[in-house]
Amino acid sequence: MTDIPKHYQPTFFQRLFEPPTIGKMAVGTKVVVYTLLLIWSAFVLFPIYWLFITSFKTAADVNGGPYYLPFIDFMPSLHAWHELFIIDYEDTLRAYFNSIVISLAATGLAVLIGSMAAYALARVKYQPNLVTILLFILTMIGVLVAIGSYGVDWWLVTAVAVAVFFFLMKAISSRYQILLHNGDILFWMISQRILAPIVVVVPIYMMFQSVRLLDTHIAIILTYTVVNLPIVIWLMYDFFSSIPKDLEESAQLDGATMIMTFREVVLPLSRAGLAATTLLVMILCWNEYLLALFLSTAKAQTMPILVAAMNAGERGILWWSMSVVIIVMIIPVVFLAMVLQRYISKGVLLGAVKG
Amino acid sequence: MKLGFKSLLAGVAAAAVLGTAGQSFAGEFDGVTVNILTRPGPVIAKPLVDHGKVFTEMTGAEIRVNEVPFAEIFQKLLTDWATGTNSIDVGVFASGWAVELVDGDLVENLDPYIAKDDKIDIDDIAPYFREYNQKIGGSTYLITVDGDFQMMYYRRDILDKLGLTPPRDWPEYLKVAEAMHGMDLNGDGEADYGSCIFKKRNAQSYFAIGSMAAGFSQTKGTGEGLWFDPETMKPKINNAAWAEAFRVYKETGKYGPPEELNHDIGDTRSLVQAGRCGMVIDWGDIGPLSIDESGAAIKDKIGAVIMPGSRKVLNPASGELEMCTDALCPHAVDGVNHAPFAAFGGWAGAINKKSDAKVKAAAYAFLSYVNQAEQSNVDVTMGWTGYNPYRNSQLNDTTKWVEAGFSQEFADNYLGAIKESLNHPNMASDVRIPGAQQYTGVVLDRELARFLADEITAEQALANIEAGWEEITEDFGRDTQAQMYKLSLGITN
Amino acid sequence: MTSTTRRVENGQPGTGPAGHDHPLSRSARMNEWIDGHARQLFIMPAVIMILIFSIFPLVASLIIAFSRIRLKAGGYQVRFVGFQNFSKQIFGSEQFHFLGTFTTLSILGWVVGLAASGSIAWWMYRYVRQQFSIVGFIGRLITAFVGLALAWMFAATFFSGNQFGTLGVTLFYVFVGCGLQFLIGLGLAFLCSQPIRGRNAFRVMFFIPMMITPIGVGYIFRMLADTTKGPFAPVWQWVGLGDFTWATDPWAARIFIIVGDSWQWIPFIFIILLAAFENIPRDYVEAGEVDGASNWQIFKEISWPQVMPVAVTVMLIRVIEGFKIVDLPNIMTSGGPGIATESMSLHSLFAWRSLDLGQSAAIAYLLLFVTVVICVSFFNLVVVNRMRQS
Repeated sequence: MTDIPKHYQPTFFQRLFEPPTIGKMAVGTKVVVYTLLLIWSAFVLFPIYWLFITSFKTAADVNGGPYYLPFIDFMPSLHAWHELFIIDYEDTLRAYFNSIVISLAATGLAVLIGSMAAYALARVKYQPNLVTILLFILTMIGVLVAIGSYGVDWWLVTAVAVAVFFFLMKAISSRYQILLHNGDILFWMISQRILAPIVVVVPIYMMFQSVRLLDTHIAIILTYTVVNLPIVIWLMYDFFSSIPKDLEESAQLDGATMIMTFREVVLPLSRAGLAATTLLVMILCWNEYLLALFLSTAKAQTMPILVAAMNAGERGILWWSMSVVIIVMIIPVVFLAMVLQRYISKGVLLGAVKG
Repeated sequence: MKLGFKSLLAGVAAAAVLGTAGQSFAGEFDGVTVNILTRPGPVIAKPLVDHGKVFTEMTGAEIRVNEVPFAEIFQKLLTDWATGTNSIDVGVFASGWAVELVDGDLVENLDPYIAKDDKIDIDDIAPYFREYNQKIGGSTYLITVDGDFQMMYYRRDILDKLGLTPPRDWPEYLKVAEAMHGMDLNGDGEADYGSCIFKKRNAQSYFAIGSMAAGFSQTKGTGEGLWFDPETMKPKINNAAWAEAFRVYKETGKYGPPEELNHDIGDTRSLVQAGRCGMVIDWGDIGPLSIDESGAAIKDKIGAVIMPGSRKVLNPASGELEMCTDALCPHAVDGVNHAPFAAFGGWAGAINKKSDAKVKAAAYAFLSYVNQAEQSNVDVTMGWTGYNPYRNSQLNDTTKWVEAGFSQEFADNYLGAIKESLNHPNMASDVRIPGAQQYTGVVLDRELARFLADEITAEQALANIEAGWEEITEDFGRDTQAQMYKLSLGITN
Repeated sequence: MTSTTRRVENGQPGTGPAGHDHPLSRSARMNEWIDGHARQLFIMPAVIMILIFSIFPLVASLIIAFSRIRLKAGGYQVRFVGFQNFSKQIFGSEQFHFLGTFTTLSILGWVVGLAASGSIAWWMYRYVRQQFSIVGFIGRLITAFVGLALAWMFAATFFSGNQFGTLGVTLFYVFVGCGLQFLIGLGLAFLCSQPIRGRNAFRVMFFIPMMITPIGVGYIFRMLADTTKGPFAPVWQWVGLGDFTWATDPWAARIFIIVGDSWQWIPFIFIILLAAFENIPRDYVEAGEVDGASNWQIFKEISWPQVMPVAVTVMLIRVIEGFKIVDLPNIMTSGGPGIATESMSLHSLFAWRSLDLGQSAAIAYLLLFVTVVICVSFFNLVVVNRMRQS
């Protein structure tokens, strides 16, 4: 921090907007900054406030026109809370529990598997053969056509296909080689995120159906893991690429294996990135609707389905109950965000900044 | 044993178990679990849960009601049944949706069950629901739990004050709506609306337009078919009748709430219950809803009447709208051709063909139990159930309705309007063929929305619909579609 | 990649029964084996999972996109129809719905279309003259093709006074919506990175909208935007817009959907950019302040270059998610008025609900194509160049 030179005589306007000392803000700037932040706070908080008071309204309070202030405009009523947590508590708590288990497990898996892959892509050189991959995809199309159009048993086709694939690979792949690089693998993984979930829902459903895992936590956890892998890999790849290699190299010189290096050196260095990625993936899992709807029937239903269910169609929307569900949905995430925020404030994507 | 042998001969093993199912006795279905899929909510689902508990005590079968959001029920059920997952034994959904499932051979034929059932009293079910709604291709596949068709409701107190009578045709409707529009109908000091008809896209608007068009277009009775020519499957939509219906529909928006284009039926109903609408087109629900706690503003102020018809109807020969004559509209009353539209068809239960015989028997016994007069005659009087009357005994006896809180006068008026509609020989049937959702829910609905949003003219919209429908028909195969359509109209030749 | 799989499989039998009697040597061999294959073991779980869960459905739905699916006794019947599903969207009866209504081009339409074509042609020409590689050329050819197609689509629809279809609506949500979200998110992050009190409070507060399920956000905004019983109803009345309703005006409806979308997604951009700003070493900024640089100069010369790479990643993620927008238009307007707010994802969803799986998959693949081309072009042509320059 340096003081202002003594001969410097700022005008009033300059005094308003020039910082008095380095690292501090001038009065004018302060006013502008706080005003903007408060305006934005209002924009963010008003819908939440409205949600909150709606959860205490009756049908008449909602339909009778806007009422803003509890106790003054309208008498708050606990009927929606009562309904969800006393009368129907079984359904509500089950969905809540499902959401928590599924999100935690899927996030944990995705972050673990994803960051391992991201680390490998950032440090190891891979050269897969495009010809082999194309062969693989062609075999797969063959399998699907056989099952879809001719109704052959799936396990039979798969067995034959595996054999055919290995035969073709021996015969063709070793002769023709188009080598891909880490960048291509990364792009391939990331691009998995682009397809809209509607198209993959039915195939995924049929997959789990064939192994009898529908309406179980496992099905949803696995699906969420894969759906979110691209994001983990992307963010963590950026992150790992930026960590200086020196530490890892010296660890390896000391005889540490790749796994040890990853666990003891790399992961502790990446806490910020891991925390941010975890939070993001957790939120995406927590809020997902379409896949959960299809993979669950009763036992594994999650909270977003409960939200959607509050639209009673021709009886209008049960705004009050819906508000309750949304509010209780926010609470765990706020909690998680506060826990993780210590790490995050140290820097998300520190990597990309330096890279 | 005799009964069982007969059924086995008929090749329906399930019916064997059912031979005894009609006479329920405790413990009959011990250890059987019936999984039902339906919409969330108190509406439709809650009565199933409640009856399920009683049913469990009676028979030992556990009734498990699974609820998924309304928009996703059908896809969900279809995926479950078509992929052979079969975690659902009974779907309770719009009866019209079943056609697709029956076409895919996924639904149990209920004829043998009904033949053995001495409690359901099938003849008490109103003819339209018994003969058209529950049947597909001549066999019964569905058990109705809710009877749906549209009527018109009006604010009796306001019409009396203005010295007007309930409209019988659409020009009158518009006139009355105009007269009421802007009045304060519920005494809160704010101007209210003459007419409320939901117009949101991808919601229920294609049911409202069906109700309007039917009066202009269908004159010769249910068998004539509102949507297609049963012989050729040519769409009967690109004509003066539908163009007029489109114009009327848009015109009603002038006397409606400003946001009506974004209102689905739920929004409309909450306005009605708040006393803000002079007239409204709706299913039977408005009656019970008006005696509900939240309908206090309209209690005993509502009247119901058969859906307005038309004095001018389409003459297929000339392609013009012409004044009704005895030859042109044989079913007209006082020169007005009515064609009440059985929109949506009502909620009904269908049983998965692939479920175990024992489960199917229990499932049927449960659906029959819900449908039986003893239970349903009480259910239909309560607004929250979402069940509307479909049995003659429900319509002929006002006691249960008065017990539920109807005034005698309104009960007579409401049931009178229902009876007039239900027994109308010119009742218009919904599209009940494969692809129904694409014909109406996608093509018709979308073009109607574009017309309402002023993107295209009525003529363009109708031409687009015709082209779109032809494409779908070609896709499914014209002959089979025509066959299905004929069957759905009860034409068997 | 695949040769690795084989090696993994071959490795297993050796470790199984042989090591059974000697736990110590077994675990030692196991460790040795793991170390030897660590490079594969790190990436294989991800590859295998994506292969099973992503590639299979992707291929399956590709097949669906080229066929008609119907229910048949005991299952589905798949009938191949070639490109029919796609051509219906691009040339056939669904053209107005997907691309927009084409009549005649207005003068403005011609001007815009020709200007866009000219600049794309010039850009290609410059590339061919300056540097040239086969892969780069093919890539740019695809970009140019999509760019031309989109330019003429907008020229024939929007600039000629016609309505554009779900593709145009999606692009509007992505470019206007995500652009707006980026600017506001960036601004907020910059403000919060200033030395202010209560920064953590702002951080958590601003992050809340992100935690609400998109369906919930749709309903919240539908509730807020209701002009008869929403909280702003008196405001509407007061400014004399009582009879104007956003839901019946195409542009107002689109903008309301963007407002809802922004409310939810700005927090995402904000939180990550804030961290990026905070990671800029303090002394850089202070050095600038000592040199007497203005706030704007500090932002432009010091902060922005440091934040840019993060911003690119964030925006790419946001744009990818943005292309898939479905819940908000579905819940707020159901795609109405008319088809004015219908995104491609919603278009696909509607087809899917009416059991038209082929159309649904075809639209989703068209969306995939457009998304990939735009994102990859943006990354390779804009970002990489920028990074090289700075």
